[in-house]
Amino acid sequence: MNKNNLVIIITVLSLSLFGLIMVYSSSSIWSEYKFEDSLYFFKHQGLFLCIGILGMYILSKIDYKIYYKKANLIILICFLLLGLVLIPGIGTIRNGSRSWFGIGSFGIQPSEFAKIGLIIFTAKYLANNEKIMANFKKGAVPILIIIFLFFALIMLEPDFGTGMVIVGTLVGMLFVSNIKLNFFAYAAVTGLVGIAALIIAAPYRIARIISFLNPWSDPLGSGFQIIQSLYAIGPAGLFGLGFGNSIQKHFYLPEPQTDFIFAIISEEFGFLGIIILATLYLTLFYKVLKISINSSDLFAKYLSFGLIFGIMIQTVLNISVVIGLVPVTGVTLPFFSYGGSSLLVSLASIGIILNISKEVK
Amino acid sequence: MFHYKIQKRLYYMFLIILLCFLAIIIRLFYVQVFKTKDLNELAHNLWSRNLPILADRGLITDRNGLVLASNITTTSLVVIPNQIKEKDKVAKDLADILNTDYLNMFKHISKKTAIERIHPEGRGLSYETADAINKLGYDGVYLVKESKRYYPYNELLSHVLGYVGIDNQGLSGIELQYDKYLKGNNGAIKYYSDGKGARLKLSEVYDAPVNGNNISLTIDLNIQEAVERELDNAMTSFNPEQALILVMDPNNGEIIAMSSRPNFNPNNYQNYTTEVINRNLPIWGTYEPGSTFKIITLAASLEEKTVNLFEDYFHDTGSVMVDGARIKCWKAGGHGTQTYLEVVQNSCNPGFVSLGQKLGTKRLYNYLIDFGFGSKTGIDLNGEASGILFKLDQMGPVETATTAFGQGISVTPIQQVRGVAAAINGGNLYTPYILRSISEPETNEMILLNKPQFIKQVITEETSNLVKYTLERVVAHGTGRNAYIENYRVGGKTGTAQKVNNGIYMVGNYILSFIGFMPADNPDYLVYVAIDNPKGVTQYGGTVAAPIAKNIMLSIIDYKEYKPVKNELLRTYTWLDTKYLYLENIEGKDIKEIKEFLKNFKIEYSGSGTKIISQSPKGGSYIKEGSTVKLMLN
Repeated sequence: MNKNNLVIIITVLSLSLFGLIMVYSSSSIWSEYKFEDSLYFFKHQGLFLCIGILGMYILSKIDYKIYYKKANLIILICFLLLGLVLIPGIGTIRNGSRSWFGIGSFGIQPSEFAKIGLIIFTAKYLANNEKIMANFKKGAVPILIIIFLFFALIMLEPDFGTGMVIVGTLVGMLFVSNIKLNFFAYAAVTGLVGIAALIIAAPYRIARIISFLNPWSDPLGSGFQIIQSLYAIGPAGLFGLGFGNSIQKHFYLPEPQTDFIFAIISEEFGFLGIIILATLYLTLFYKVLKISINSSDLFAKYLSFGLIFGIMIQTVLNISVVIGLVPVTGVTLPFFSYGGSSLLVSLASIGIILNISKEVK
Repeated sequence: MFHYKIQKRLYYMFLIILLCFLAIIIRLFYVQVFKTKDLNELAHNLWSRNLPILADRGLITDRNGLVLASNITTTSLVVIPNQIKEKDKVAKDLADILNTDYLNMFKHISKKTAIERIHPEGRGLSYETADAINKLGYDGVYLVKESKRYYPYNELLSHVLGYVGIDNQGLSGIELQYDKYLKGNNGAIKYYSDGKGARLKLSEVYDAPVNGNNISLTIDLNIQEAVERELDNAMTSFNPEQALILVMDPNNGEIIAMSSRPNFNPNNYQNYTTEVINRNLPIWGTYEPGSTFKIITLAASLEEKTVNLFEDYFHDTGSVMVDGARIKCWKAGGHGTQTYLEVVQNSCNPGFVSLGQKLGTKRLYNYLIDFGFGSKTGIDLNGEASGILFKLDQMGPVETATTAFGQGISVTPIQQVRGVAAAINGGNLYTPYILRSISEPETNEMILLNKPQFIKQVITEETSNLVKYTLERVVAHGTGRNAYIENYRVGGKTGTAQKVNNGIYMVGNYILSFIGFMPADNPDYLVYVAIDNPKGVTQYGGTVAAPIAKNIMLSIIDYKEYKPVKNELLRTYTWLDTKYLYLENIEGKDIKEIKEFLKNFKIEYSGSGTKIISQSPKGGSYIKEGSTVKLMLN
């Protein structure tokens, strides 16, 4: 194992274990109240983590080139799953989105897996069409159609957060390809128009945007989550209240172990704790980026970049929501938020990256 | 290189993510460092349930520290419903202890509210009840201290003290004027609770209340009590519409006593109309001053030397024509030929018209302004009126004439008292005030000591001495003789003002007043009495108001132990008056020598010698003609 991979593994394990501990701290009150077992969420997350690490190990042993070969099959399966989950009776609704396949108390979100599938497919597409990517019509349009198709399916659930992460990731991948930069100017305009259209389609998103600009305008409605989040983050100051001492997890911040877990981390470990957290994420990003840069295989280059960029963009989006920089969108914090799909997909991404790394000199 | 562009763009992506993280870090620094205090406060408001602990309002005392407004401390029962687990049991136990209905109690402790006050059963609890509740030791059941304003003297000084509302906030008088000093800061016990209201295992924060500062007034309770007593007597005897008395230290503007009728009891102010509560007559009442105002005209004339009191004469025929209007003297037929000193003694209106004419409109007007009429005195109480003067350009000969003897203008009692104070204290106009000092309740350290506010000198000291002399003559020989006190020097002036309703003088409806001071040569106290429309008496200030002022001055003499003096002006007697004669000191003299001294008194001897060891009453003062003098012989 090379030194770069070791750093990646240590960083990922640190993030995941820190995440597991924070799931325990942030969820114990809720899970005691709901299940009369303060370890309920902790145990589940612990199980997911074990499965995830095992999966990461297995994937690091599987030659990544197989994804190149099976890319079309993978994308087809993802497409079918995303279609299936929309059918009532097969897909179940949680938190207002029909985005789950329920298996007992476990649930699987196909959109999370579709994210990896799309990254693989896009990586292959970009590698194959290296030469013509400069041509907008021939190069970019076909892949954009596919991206839009998947985005539309996910928005039918609806799962705006995951949709945004996927689109952001794939656009990022296009950016590093040979594509002309003026494409992004068009994309930005199209994106803004698209967001405007989505807002008109579902007016609750306006409330989210207003609440983001001034959460105190509706403190019990749309501004509630962000205010509760700021009440966790603000009072913590530089050093935080100390592990386990969060007050906001006592039924103030809703579902503190999922999308808003970052608020509880800030509350207990303060500004300095977050600096450490940010350093871990950036280290991971930098190390994986080095793999992409040093990789001579174009598919490997795009794939490793796409996988890590997806994680980073999701991280940035989640934290920005929690600290009130962007409107509430509902994405999880990779390695931290409670939830099997999110954690498994993140660890699986790292597993694939580790395998790519072996090919790099 | 082939992939050169891709490599460069990968580095750009790193930069983009790095910038995103930088934005996050900056935002967090803003929230966790710059905004931490604000958010901490807001969050604590969310987390904590405050059990209020009311601060004690500061005491209000008189100038000698006697308490005029204090507090009663009571214990009240308060519950935090979310913290109570076994609601049935708690409700039953509390209902038993408080002797109240179980269902009612259950309703209280199940209410969807952060903090519930058990009202009224749980207020003003006895020690035993409170102790029994305390012993239960239930979560969410609390006993809190409450403080309620209490005025031990009830109606006494009510308009000055004012009253406080339900939340102990000052609503009028001193309570309002100095509320920010008196109110203190309420404290609280802060319990932390979770989002569902249950108590968190975090330590409670005790936020101690800061009691209000104590306020000492210039009021002298002893004299105030005399004033209240005299007002009560006047109400009983004369049944007037209104009555008021003001006592002031003329040398600095301190209000010594102040009261009026109708008044109210601040302990249950709810039972009174707002008119009664809000109208502090000594500063709010505005009416024609009448003859007491002549003091100002006199002072101005003496200062301007437009008259010689002793050598100039005035002939009063009973009325005088001014610019076609007939102005009558109060005495039908007039006072005949008098010196101006007698004009003052007799309070002769045509005489004062001539004094006003000698001064001229402009000079008279300037003195009115100098003496502070037409504008608020600035006393530290709410609800003061400013009175009404003619404008200078509206003052024709008639207005000047009537103003000179106190008609056609409107003034407040406090303006009159301040003006007269300046006329008799050497000429110094002061702002009247009632706050003496403010002190910290724990250490008694003085925070603020009020000082007399000198405005300006309006007449010279010589003029002032002459005014005093003249006013002493008014009491000894003139209309103020009912305020005469044997062996003491008193000056003063009566006033009888006809009331005006819709611009027309009302028939048989007067405000009778008297303003007097003592000792007349060097006054310590200035007393103003005004009785509005007394029934069943001769309508002259001298007959109604002067005796009241005299009684108050007698109380002051007794309380302040003023020694009798020999050199007071002897009064002139009417056939009705009892005569007072000077009793010499004859102790140590031989029995044969004393016949001459005691010829108008009855003599009782004890002992059998010829030398007088002691006498009763003591010599050196005036005593009633024909009364008994007891002598002890050796």
